[in-house]
Amino acid sequence: MAVLAAEHISKTFGSEAGAAVGVQAVRDVAFTVDQGTFLAITGSSGSGKSTVLHMLGGITRPSSGRVVLEGVDLAGLDDEQLALLRRRRIGFVFQRYNLLPELSLAENVALPLELDGKPRAFCREAAMAALEQVGMDHRADHRPDSVSGGEQQRAAIARALVTKPAILLADEPTGALDSANSKNVIELLSKLVLDDHQTVVLVTHDPTVADAATRVIQMRDGQIANDTALPRTTGVAE
Amino acid sequence: MRLGHLLVRQWAMRPGRALATVASVAVAVGAVVATWVAADASRSGYRRLTEAIEGAPSIEITSEEESRFSIEDLPSLGDIPGLRAIIPLFYRPTLLRVGEKRVREIAMGVDCSTLVDQGLLTLAEGEPCIAPDEVVLDQGLAASLKLGVGDEVLMFARRGIKRMQVTGLAESASLATFSAGGGVVVEIAALSDMSSALGLVDRVRVVLKPDATRSQVLEAVADRLPASLSAEVPAGRASMAEDVLHAADLGLDFVTGLTVAMSWFIVVNAMLMNVTERRRGLALVRLLGGTARQLRHTVLVEAALLGVLGAIVGAGLGLLAARPIAAGIAGALNAPLTEFTYDPVIVWIAMLMGPAVAMAAAWWPAREAGRVELLEGIAQAPPPPARGVSLKYLLGAVSLWCIAALILLAVLLELIPPRASVPAGTVTMLAFVGITPVVLPWVSSGLVRLVPRCWWIEARIAHEQIMRQPVRTALTTGVLVVAVSNGIGLGHAIRDNVDNVLDWYDGWMQADWLVVQAGALGAMPPQAGPDAAAIDTLAREIPGVAKVEAIAVATGRAAGVACVVVARDLPGPGSGLPLDAIGLDETEAREALERGDAFVGTALSQKTGIQPGDEIAVEVYGRTTKVKVAGLVVDFMSGGVAVHVSREAGRTLFGLDAIEVLLVTAVPGQAAALQEPLEQLANEHGMLARSFAEMQSMIDRVVQGIVGSLKSILMLGFVVGSLGVANTVTMNVLEKTRTLGLLRSVGMTSGQVTRLVVIQSILLGAAGGVIGTFGGITTALFIQISSQPLLGYPVQMSLRPGLIALNLGAAILVTAVAAWLPARRASRLDLLQAISSE
Repeated sequence: MAVLAAEHISKTFGSEAGAAVGVQAVRDVAFTVDQGTFLAITGSSGSGKSTVLHMLGGITRPSSGRVVLEGVDLAGLDDEQLALLRRRRIGFVFQRYNLLPELSLAENVALPLELDGKPRAFCREAAMAALEQVGMDHRADHRPDSVSGGEQQRAAIARALVTKPAILLADEPTGALDSANSKNVIELLSKLVLDDHQTVVLVTHDPTVADAATRVIQMRDGQIANDTALPRTTGVAE
Repeated sequence: MRLGHLLVRQWAMRPGRALATVASVAVAVGAVVATWVAADASRSGYRRLTEAIEGAPSIEITSEEESRFSIEDLPSLGDIPGLRAIIPLFYRPTLLRVGEKRVREIAMGVDCSTLVDQGLLTLAEGEPCIAPDEVVLDQGLAASLKLGVGDEVLMFARRGIKRMQVTGLAESASLATFSAGGGVVVEIAALSDMSSALGLVDRVRVVLKPDATRSQVLEAVADRLPASLSAEVPAGRASMAEDVLHAADLGLDFVTGLTVAMSWFIVVNAMLMNVTERRRGLALVRLLGGTARQLRHTVLVEAALLGVLGAIVGAGLGLLAARPIAAGIAGALNAPLTEFTYDPVIVWIAMLMGPAVAMAAAWWPAREAGRVELLEGIAQAPPPPARGVSLKYLLGAVSLWCIAALILLAVLLELIPPRASVPAGTVTMLAFVGITPVVLPWVSSGLVRLVPRCWWIEARIAHEQIMRQPVRTALTTGVLVVAVSNGIGLGHAIRDNVDNVLDWYDGWMQADWLVVQAGALGAMPPQAGPDAAAIDTLAREIPGVAKVEAIAVATGRAAGVACVVVARDLPGPGSGLPLDAIGLDETEAREALERGDAFVGTALSQKTGIQPGDEIAVEVYGRTTKVKVAGLVVDFMSGGVAVHVSREAGRTLFGLDAIEVLLVTAVPGQAAALQEPLEQLANEHGMLARSFAEMQSMIDRVVQGIVGSLKSILMLGFVVGSLGVANTVTMNVLEKTRTLGLLRSVGMTSGQVTRLVVIQSILLGAAGGVIGTFGGITTALFIQISSQPLLGYPVQMSLRPGLIALNLGAAILVTAVAAWLPARRASRLDLLQAISSE
């Protein structure tokens, strides 16, 4: 069953601002993502892969086409409804972790639940559970700047998972990590897909990371160049 | 609040930023409190100053028919707040005879013992008059008649001659409030009975409490009166005092309004920077599902909390700053501050103002926070702000100027009161701040060219950084624009007005010596003194006297409005006229005066609509005479509420004979030799002889007092401006930590970083100074145009390069000094921390 569908989405930057000629970053991209899929979108720099991810997550709106998440057309939502959808149904992981430096790891993880008005005790409990899931519960009260990059990324994954989202979107999650930490993060994501049937869409330019996915979409010049289902279980290639 | 703990953590993690924001609010609130309290102290000082001239502040009730009226017609007024005493007055001209000496005088009927009991009439000697045959005399008059307590004097009344016994001698100054120039006090029932007018009064003087606002009491009294009676501010001394107060009040209102505007810019700027610096964090919260409403709410709550803190600190600092300023102002006005007092309402308003202004100021940043681009949250570095400014700033500024111009026009046409020009002036200033982003690129790049070549790199980067944040730069510059506009605008207005008054005095009083009635300096109460008419003849006979001009003055009414009537000797042809007649040359004015025509003061013309060519009814001593108006004159006597005629016309038309002032010019080199004979002559006639230099110094003291008090408040504006700029530059450095760290990492020395920050600040100061200069000149024009209805004539404005240079220099100096500490901080940044800073 498709959790997510990109229906002929395109994105042109600059046209909204009245520029004479916009830059078309994505052209007529269409695909669906089933529950429990580990999809890797790959491509060189400027191929449009991150823009596709941003459109899937409702961070930016397509210039044409539509994105449907669990049957909900994102184009039909206003900014506030989109915020609620991101909060409850989408988890984000970024290359630079993007943890708030003022908050502890547990507080960072609990933030989406706090924003949703959940009781504080519940938030703390859920955050601890998410941190435990990524093996970071022992660092719960540390500030981001007092742990390593790999640990920060694990905490960021915990934050993405804490609301039990329909889909986890990761933008170059290993881009800032060394190889050992990269391997740990990819193993963690694979484990989520395998054990919890979590749907993950990951953008990367690293072929070894893409090898861990169950499906790979390769982009070139804003279009899908290749869409391949990999006949093996998730895991990190040695 | 769901994001409350995030706020608290942010404050704890970046205390500098939170403290700088609190400091901004504190500076703003402190400035408003200090200016407000200082302005109040100035008002109170002016009041005491004018009371010294006027006596106790009062209003006067008279009959609409300009005749006596029954005291029974007066409604009960006792419950009106602010009243100290209600004093019925009865006047009649009389003749006193002591031995062979006869003196024409105005007798005043009053409840003498009540006046003495209430402290409104001070007796230098003896007791108040109670019985019908008792009289109290002016101390000076008694001295000139050689009369003392217990002596007898004959008084001519309608019912014949009456022998009166002198029971007391009154101090001249305390008589001024009631006497209309007379020096004889008789019990009111006795005097009205002597005039066959028992139960009638000429006027009722309502004396106010010191803290009462005359305009409010006047309105309340007027509401109670029947149609046959009217209430007004007494002519003569009082109207001058009132006009001085109005004009000074207008100036203080302008300063207070501009300080509020400046404070507003400081707070808006701080809030804007506070939010901008956290833009990435806010975008991230938004990315994680925070709604725009949640972010707006968070920013506003933070503003309220920081606002409360800032208000508490600011109110305290403001009161601390106000104390020495108020003392300085009181000293400048020669009205010693016995006790520092302030209205607690000011503090309460300030306490509310802090969070309210902070929240209002945060509204736009809060809205922007809600609209933050989500991609900023995941960007490695925030995107560069959009360069350049749209036409909307220019259109906004032009719209504000149009609004201000319309208000000014309405003030000029007297459709709305002059006070309405204060918010209009503030709006004009806002417009100048509004066009700052438009003109800043040219001003800044022009200024960069003036920086020495060896600092060119620093100057270029400083310029670029300024250009990257046009709105914030405009707000920072706005603080200086307002401070400089304040300084230049009010400085010009004050100097022009002062010069105008001094020029008038120079023209009006061209003499070496003045012989004046006691207590009359600068105020001119009408006639008093024995044989006053003869004193000018006697003065002319003194050896060494080249010229004597006599001036007679009386209170009266013109076109139904209380005024003073001034009759003056005309100097010979070629000597110039002591009247500044508008639109007439000296010959035309002289011919008109010789014909017996009158000139009307601009303020009286403004009040009554009297125009040249009109024939007006002028009442003096109960006698109404029609006189033709030849023209209008700029006049500071009685605030311009005056009718001027030649001395001859004064005698024939109004019976105005007694001399108030003698202007004596000495033969060259003989001025000092005239001191003794003039003092002797003055003494014999119950008058005072003063040298022109002494008079000049007295006028200078009063003028300097007012100028000094306004200068103190202007200085406060600059201090606030410098604190605001220091704070803004500090926040700028905090925000640019990463950029400065990067510059250091690519080889910029700490000295270069220091220069970069200081140059940036100086560019802001100079740009603010340049734009503020235009704002200041506009403000000066604004004040002068808007005070025209008060003064009745336009004050000529003259550009003062020295004043402009002083303000520009102060703005640049202030910003350079203000940037020094932040610059030092920037140069000592830990490189690793700086480049990893978000």
